[in-house]
Amino acid sequence: MNPRLRLALALAAVVAGLVNVALLLWAGDDRGESLAYLLITIVGVGWSFVGAGLVAWSRRPENRTGALMVAVGLAQLLNGLLFNGVILAREPVAFVLWFLLATLPEGVLGHLIAVFPDGRATTRLQRFFIIANYAATVPLALVQLLLVEPGRLGCTDCPNDILGLGGRDRYGDVVLAVSDLSLAVLTALLLWIVVTRWRHAAEPRRRSLAPVALVGIVLLIVYMTGQTLKAVLPDPPLVLEVGFNLAILMALVLWPLAFLAGLARTRLDRSAVGDLAVQLDEALPPGRLEQVLARALHDPTLQLAYWLADRDAFVDAAGHPVELPAADSDRAATILRHDGAPVAAMLHDAALDDDPALVRAVAATARMTIENERLQAEVRAQLEEVRASRARIVEFGDAERRRVERNLHDGAQQRLVSISLALGIARSQVGATSEQEMAVALDDAAAELRLALGELRELARGIHPVILSEAGLGPALVSLAERSPIPVTVTAVPPKRLPSRVEETAYYVASEALANAAKHAHATAVSISARRLEGQLLVEVGDDGIGGADPDGSGLRGLADRVAALDGHLRVHSPDGKGTRITAELPCGS
Amino acid sequence: MRVMIADDAVLFREGLGRVLEAGGIQVAAQAGDAERLLALVRADPPDAVVVDIRMPPTHTREGLDAAQRIRAEHPQIGVLVLSQYVEPHHAMQLLEDGTSGVGYLLKDRVADVAEVVDAVRRVAGGGSVIDPEVVAQLLGRRRTRDPLQELTERERQVLALMAEGRSNQAISERLYLSPKTVEGHVRSIFTRLDLHAAPDDHRRVLAVLAFLRP
Repeated sequence: MNPRLRLALALAAVVAGLVNVALLLWAGDDRGESLAYLLITIVGVGWSFVGAGLVAWSRRPENRTGALMVAVGLAQLLNGLLFNGVILAREPVAFVLWFLLATLPEGVLGHLIAVFPDGRATTRLQRFFIIANYAATVPLALVQLLLVEPGRLGCTDCPNDILGLGGRDRYGDVVLAVSDLSLAVLTALLLWIVVTRWRHAAEPRRRSLAPVALVGIVLLIVYMTGQTLKAVLPDPPLVLEVGFNLAILMALVLWPLAFLAGLARTRLDRSAVGDLAVQLDEALPPGRLEQVLARALHDPTLQLAYWLADRDAFVDAAGHPVELPAADSDRAATILRHDGAPVAAMLHDAALDDDPALVRAVAATARMTIENERLQAEVRAQLEEVRASRARIVEFGDAERRRVERNLHDGAQQRLVSISLALGIARSQVGATSEQEMAVALDDAAAELRLALGELRELARGIHPVILSEAGLGPALVSLAERSPIPVTVTAVPPKRLPSRVEETAYYVASEALANAAKHAHATAVSISARRLEGQLLVEVGDDGIGGADPDGSGLRGLADRVAALDGHLRVHSPDGKGTRITAELPCGS
Repeated sequence: MRVMIADDAVLFREGLGRVLEAGGIQVAAQAGDAERLLALVRADPPDAVVVDIRMPPTHTREGLDAAQRIRAEHPQIGVLVLSQYVEPHHAMQLLEDGTSGVGYLLKDRVADVAEVVDAVRRVAGGGSVIDPEVVAQLLGRRRTRDPLQELTERERQVLALMAEGRSNQAISERLYLSPKTVEGHVRSIFTRLDLHAAPDDHRRVLAVLAFLRP
């Protein structure tokens, strides 16, 4: 479909161009401008855009830039035909037709510049510009025809009632002023769009914008200088005038080639892949891979992210999580896979998506190295996790010591002080009070002492339950169950003693889970089981509470850290309203 | 009555010795560790021994092991184990080897002269003594379906005293009830909890504790 369409458009352009040439020759002196000038502006510019556009279109069918360039060229050729029609027919109708479509080439050109090199609008400003820009072509011309005297629009022969409206020119000044103003605003808007694009563009996009911008700037400077000279010198030397005109014409004809070049420059140089292969062959220091890939793809913003299967997320080389860019942003991600599973992602400028084949080639070349870096990133991420957990464990230990100190200080120690005081008073009153009073004082001291002993006992149990080291996990879990404020069933305990680290961690898991069930989950029943299973101790604590436990809360986080310290795994299953099940798998040797 | 005391803290041994002497019990010997106690017992068996559960060298359960060996070697000697903490688990272990002449008490109880003397006399006489705190922990356990709910308040008091190893006579004195009434309560408890009646004061301790700690 597309190649045939392109052939048809090419033929149409050739025919339109030739007809233009013939008409211009036929028109002779009536055409008002020099033949060379008209030939170049109409046929030269038209063919140049159509030709370059067709090349761009065939190379990059998915990019609309080529089609837009063809449209600019065809509009220009059509415009030429109508212009010739006006000259030859000398009919108001011909003038109306030509006038309506006269600004269409500039309209399409504005569209082309606004969306170059993507070929499609990506921002709201771009979309607004395109609509406003087209509104300033045919619709604006129609308004002008309706409200402005034809003479002021360039048709000296036309009658005033050209569109069947008489007695006009009431609004002529306003309409012309508004037209000029809107054209100035549109031009400024277009400049703004191009400048912002350039400022926000990464290297690949700038490479394609550069030729177009360069020729555009040259055009602008030459045109402005020419206008200034005209204003300053009322009668400029012919050489100067011809020179400026020629420069403008050259720039106009060359512009499509600039578009083509710009488009071609996003097709990056394939030799980059070869260079990359050589560079990867040498051992790269960690982190350099990103730079090497950035150079190969000419995108200094390129970022590598590695897939961590156990976290289900991408991380950077330092192990920090990385978000993939959204689909319609300036950034794009190319995901590298190995056997269907993600290995890494390259985050780069969306402009690189214009040449996915090259990005793929670069990615494929670098895959082994990336895989290697990914493993390193994984190790670093684990290391970071270990560091964090170590810090948490130390912090937890400190907090626990502070808690014990506080309890000792506020509890038992306080009581012992008051006992000491009571005994001191009793001692000073020996002989001065009755034996009965003395007995009461001593009884009070003894009662206080019992409380202190009880508090010390509870505190010591909280630090480490003696039953655990003396009798093992089973009796300790049963004892835990007996002291729990909510009913606990211990359904299974290991028949034999296990390494003390395993027993202690298992006990800690059970007691913490039980405390959570009582404190936060509003559970009414808990079951605990601890079973040996294939070299592991499986500790399960389930309750019938409200669920929704936060695995990253400090309690469960601490549990996970302790379990991880034994190379075990902690799982928390706590759907809202469906109870909580905490499972710890602890390797316990043979 | 002659007893031997084993505890690694000299001050505590001396103090306990004076408390027992004050209660009319002769302290035949004191030992600082389990080995020494066993040697003393073998040389001249007393009527009862009082041992701390934690003693050198490991300070874990030396006293418990010594108690079990003495009971195996000299079944006629009453053994009272003292502990800074009481655990139902330890109590059950002691009772499993036989319920007669064995006791398990919280160390704090020695502050009450009458209580500790009574306990020593009971184990020496072949009775059993379980610390009220052990019983409290077992009775206080929360259960989803609690058969203890079916007992009356009075029956729960009787059950607790039975679990402590008290005889019907002792229970009736404690609760100011006639022995006949106590017997009635005991029968009712055994029926309601679906326990086999154990008329023997000593052996019913284990039945009750085993029921409370399945």
